[in-house]
Amino acid sequence: MIATLLTRVRYGAVIAIGVVVAVLPLLTGDRYLIGKVLVFVALNLIIVSGLALVFGFAGQISLGHAAFCGLGAYTTGFLVTTLDWPPLLGVVAAVLISGLGGLALALPSLRLKGHYLAMATLGFNEIMSVLFVEMDAVTGGNNGLSGIPYFSVAGARFDTPALNYWLVWGVAAVVLALAYNIVRGRPGRAMRALHGSEIGALASGVDTTRLKVQVFGLSAAFAGLAGALYAHSVGFVSPTTFSLETSVILVAMVVIGGSGSLAGPVMAAVVLTLVPYADALVPGLSADTVALMQDWEADVYGILMIGVIILAPGGLGRLLVSRRDRRVAEAGEAA
Amino acid sequence: MDSAELLQFAIAGLKSGSIYALVALGFSLVYGSTGIINFAQGEFFMLGGMLSVFFRDAGMPLPVAGVSAIVVTGLVGLAFERFLLRPRRDAGPLVLIIITIGGSMVIKSLARHAFGGNELSLPMFSSGASVMVAGAAVERQALWMWGLTALAVVALTVVHARTRFGRAMRACSLSHDAARLMGIDTAKVVMVSFGLAAALGALGGFVVTPLTQTSFDVGARIGLKGFAGAILGGLGNPLGAVVGGLALGLLESLSIAFISSTYKDAISLVVLLAMLFIRPQGLLGRASREKV
Repeated sequence: MIATLLTRVRYGAVIAIGVVVAVLPLLTGDRYLIGKVLVFVALNLIIVSGLALVFGFAGQISLGHAAFCGLGAYTTGFLVTTLDWPPLLGVVAAVLISGLGGLALALPSLRLKGHYLAMATLGFNEIMSVLFVEMDAVTGGNNGLSGIPYFSVAGARFDTPALNYWLVWGVAAVVLALAYNIVRGRPGRAMRALHGSEIGALASGVDTTRLKVQVFGLSAAFAGLAGALYAHSVGFVSPTTFSLETSVILVAMVVIGGSGSLAGPVMAAVVLTLVPYADALVPGLSADTVALMQDWEADVYGILMIGVIILAPGGLGRLLVSRRDRRVAEAGEAA
Repeated sequence: MDSAELLQFAIAGLKSGSIYALVALGFSLVYGSTGIINFAQGEFFMLGGMLSVFFRDAGMPLPVAGVSAIVVTGLVGLAFERFLLRPRRDAGPLVLIIITIGGSMVIKSLARHAFGGNELSLPMFSSGASVMVAGAAVERQALWMWGLTALAVVALTVVHARTRFGRAMRACSLSHDAARLMGIDTAKVVMVSFGLAAALGALGGFVVTPLTQTSFDVGARIGLKGFAGAILGGLGNPLGAVVGGLALGLLESLSIAFISSTYKDAISLVVLLAMLFIRPQGLLGRASREKV
């Protein structure tokens, strides 16, 4: 009884948040907030939901998702500006290339037990950072690519900040729903079994390597999608955006959010993405304060990440779940 | 390309290779005693270089500055294990690896706050013209690098093979539980292996800084290369780490000679993936099977 009530409250909360997110561009015309900051939140949600699958359900870490994101951004940027492809094809190509890149990296690394994938992805990020600068015929070198148009498909143009905001948040909602279904369904069960005991999962007929490779490929494709949408939202890509540091911050979001849940990483992604842009939310915050926060971002996230994994290994998500369970249990005893 | 030119490339390769070997040795020591990949290994290399510059600027003579940097970095390694990893030592490798990733992020950022974002350098250890060997020039600093690397490797081999502590390390790398049952203080072995790994990385950072300069963000890339070297030789095998590191340096240098310097950095990733795909136990390693 109380459990169903709580489920209903949770669905209510999700719907309420959805409505607020959807109507926000109607309430404020702030170009910085609608055109950039909240778009970045949605893009990070897309990447983090893929990373959460890799971490929480396949028990692996990726230090290369910023590079997959960059691969997607440069793919569509190059195809649309230099080769005059329509943006839809550019984005589709970005997703495919990133996904295939993910598979190519995961296949050798995940055949083995251990955490070789983490190092391979770190290497991938380092190499891509070099290539984004060096392959300047395609990537524009240090100057990057500019003049990337807003997304459009078959005459429908998303060419104002508000329209682009709705597009990106719409895609984020679809990706989140997809990730939620994967967690809830058969693949999610198989992944949880794998996380619990790999040998146990193998014995129960789960092809663990195949599953891990697939999950990783999907998460790389998500990152490529986010990168492609980033390129069309901002109109400009440059190599420094997709550094190893960005990858590590994305991992920090997932770790702080917690393994074994999607809600934890999602909340962590929202909060941690907003922190460096606090000036968009808190009026009157001085530029010095914001600069200081951005300067110490990596230290604070690193310390938070270590703190969470040492003191509260389940992360934010587990904390919420256990409190709810506790409440349910207490209510049961009272009755 | 004539033989003198080829020799010149080989010398350049062995120069960076000796640095990869030191970092690879650090990976191997930690992997041997804990079974985890230490993602902060590259940051220890960075600290070695940055701290030697810092101590020298504070007025210490160069050798004292270098030794101090190595000792301090070693202590950072000990503290890293003792205060960050040990509290969660019974958790799975994933948790420990995440701690090393978070640690590397913090060390790197703190180094930027403490030493600034600029490239820093040290003077050469000894002045004078390069030594000529069969038509190829060898910088005096390269001799220092090879000499000090060889010294560290020999010292470590002697400790590993001849001392009581070395036997404890070898026992830990075979089985932690068995070692503990035999009365070995495994926690101490793990802590010391972190300290040694950090000191080896710092030595690499100290000896290479006069040639390449250093900055707060060099750790990740050198970590990747050291790891590729360790995989090439067989992770957990100290001799393999040295051979693998040198081999990687040679491969990179030859790729500059025959392909292009742009893709030099990609070699380590290619080597890493190829080894994982074809021969994960490394060139010198033997295949192992997992038991239930």
